[in-house]
Amino acid sequence: MSWKIWSLKKSPWVFHVNTGACNNCDIEIVNLLTPKFDVERFGIKLVGSPRHADALLVTGVVTRQAAPRLQEVYRQTPKPCVVFCIGACACHTGIFRGAYHVVGPVDKIIKEIDPNAIIAYVPGCPPKPEAVISGVVKALSTL
Amino acid sequence: MGAIFEERREEKDKDMSETLQNLFRLLFWILIFPGFLFTACFGLIASWIVRKVSALVQWRVGPPFFQPFYDVIKLMGKETLIPQEAQRTVFMGAPLVGLAGVLLLSTMLWRITIDQTAFVGDIIVAIYLMTLPSLALIFGSSASASPHAAVGTGREMKLVMSYELPLVLAFIVVIIKTGGQLSLAAIAQQTPALSISGMLAFLITLLCIQAKLGFVPFDIAEAETELGSGVLMEYSGALLAVWKVTQAMMLVALPLFLVMVFLGGFGTSLWTGLLTGVGKYVLIVVLLILIKNTNPRVRIDQAMKFFWFYCGIALAVAIILALVGNTYGIGWL
Amino acid sequence: MNQEELNNKLAEIKDKLIDIEQKANNRIYLLCEAENSYAVNKFLFEDVPLRFVITTGIDSDDCFEILYHYAYDQTGCMVTLKAFIRDREKPAIESITPFLPAAEWIEREIHDTLGIDFKNHPNLRRLILADDWPEGVYPLRKEVKR
Repeated sequence: MSWKIWSLKKSPWVFHVNTGACNNCDIEIVNLLTPKFDVERFGIKLVGSPRHADALLVTGVVTRQAAPRLQEVYRQTPKPCVVFCIGACACHTGIFRGAYHVVGPVDKIIKEIDPNAIIAYVPGCPPKPEAVISGVVKALSTL
Repeated sequence: MGAIFEERREEKDKDMSETLQNLFRLLFWILIFPGFLFTACFGLIASWIVRKVSALVQWRVGPPFFQPFYDVIKLMGKETLIPQEAQRTVFMGAPLVGLAGVLLLSTMLWRITIDQTAFVGDIIVAIYLMTLPSLALIFGSSASASPHAAVGTGREMKLVMSYELPLVLAFIVVIIKTGGQLSLAAIAQQTPALSISGMLAFLITLLCIQAKLGFVPFDIAEAETELGSGVLMEYSGALLAVWKVTQAMMLVALPLFLVMVFLGGFGTSLWTGLLTGVGKYVLIVVLLILIKNTNPRVRIDQAMKFFWFYCGIALAVAIILALVGNTYGIGWL
Repeated sequence: MNQEELNNKLAEIKDKLIDIEQKANNRIYLLCEAENSYAVNKFLFEDVPLRFVITTGIDSDDCFEILYHYAYDQTGCMVTLKAFIRDREKPAIESITPFLPAAEWIEREIHDTLGIDFKNHPNLRRLILADDWPEGVYPLRKEVKR
């Protein structure tokens, strides 16, 4: 395993993207980053710019308006990076399947511009913060 | 005749080897000890101490010991993205200028501490070098061609203008108290903080250092929740690693400067001097951490009013007290 | 006013309505045609007075219905005005924004999704549909398939 991936696993900085969610998953992500769950033990830090990020926490079913913007944010994240689909809507459009404004779950939009993207799924509606931590740690351990 | 030529050639050879030796020694000082390698490692360990103590204050565990090193290594391994409309030379050169400034400052201060190799006016050189990282930040972020970075640049400029004045006034207080000497080695022999004006100047300089390091309550430029990471928004990869190392090295150089100017430096004997010096350094870092963890972020207009109005008046009083104390020989004023 | 007095007050505008239905003790429906909706809304908002909650739009098979929901907080009664728009080709109704500025955005949303034209609306632009959504396709109409 190259030193780049090794150091990525030791210090994953996350950036949160909302592509049209009902905000439940966003609240759970904000809860995750409070001192109660202490994700700084794993080196996880919330950053304010996608250019500093290693992991994108994407919530929400991707609406038609948000799709090109999600692709732009992904392009601005320096590779190597991991995309986490948080919540049922991001994994497979959840309860909004078939609605008029939905252009598809997150992995379909990301794979349009980068077929080799590393994508991890954390289902739940919304997933508990413990579930998100478990998903992040499991995904990083398989890299 | 041949003997004279031989002598001259020997002298030239000796000169050459001496300059070469000097060059190597200088490179060793700047790059390894106490220069880049030493300061960077010490700075990353100090930034770990800041994060760990902040975590313990918040009743959580905090990052493992090598976390800042992992951060820097990871940043070196990411690709560097440069915005299309950014001014490339300034964008890429600004972090290096900031690094050079803090590197030279740290080397100079450690050399003065270890070897007493000071020169007259070195406190002025130190103040000048201290502003280089902030200026580099302003230049780098304004070359970013991003509206968030532009707002961050404006705020950082105002912040720098606010705290430079009290900083210089505080150093004037120290210079008055130590009898008008402009040499750090001489100032480091005395402890100006053990007097009213000195203590006032020390506390205000502590807050200015807090602003210079970009700690709460003065981390206006990199206000994460407001500006999406503000000034450093467009930096990524290796350039961001340079900024992080620069910030870590400032965490070494600036409290060391405070220790030398206000608290009496490291002393002359080896082991007791080292212990007391490190103790004073740790005291200042702990004060910075405590202020950082117990305060909210202030707005830029509040910061300007605080530094210019309140600190300015307090320092004017301190200068008057110092002058009075100096002329009448009262030590504790 | 208690509930009885509210019922009497609402009966004052009976001549503009088709019917008044009281489905439960605190749930009243007033039915009217689209032409009278402006006058009835003005009466409900200013003369009774009731608190405006929201507007909804329904695509029934033979007409459009615009429902204006009002609340009477003293008794917890919800009063809903149902306005029928009979013309399905060019549905139009008068906007209540002139005396109720809070209704501006919800009427924009109904216009986006159902295609109903609100006359005298100060700012009838696109609100919630994507920028590249085709004009003239109103997604919440029954005939629009996915």
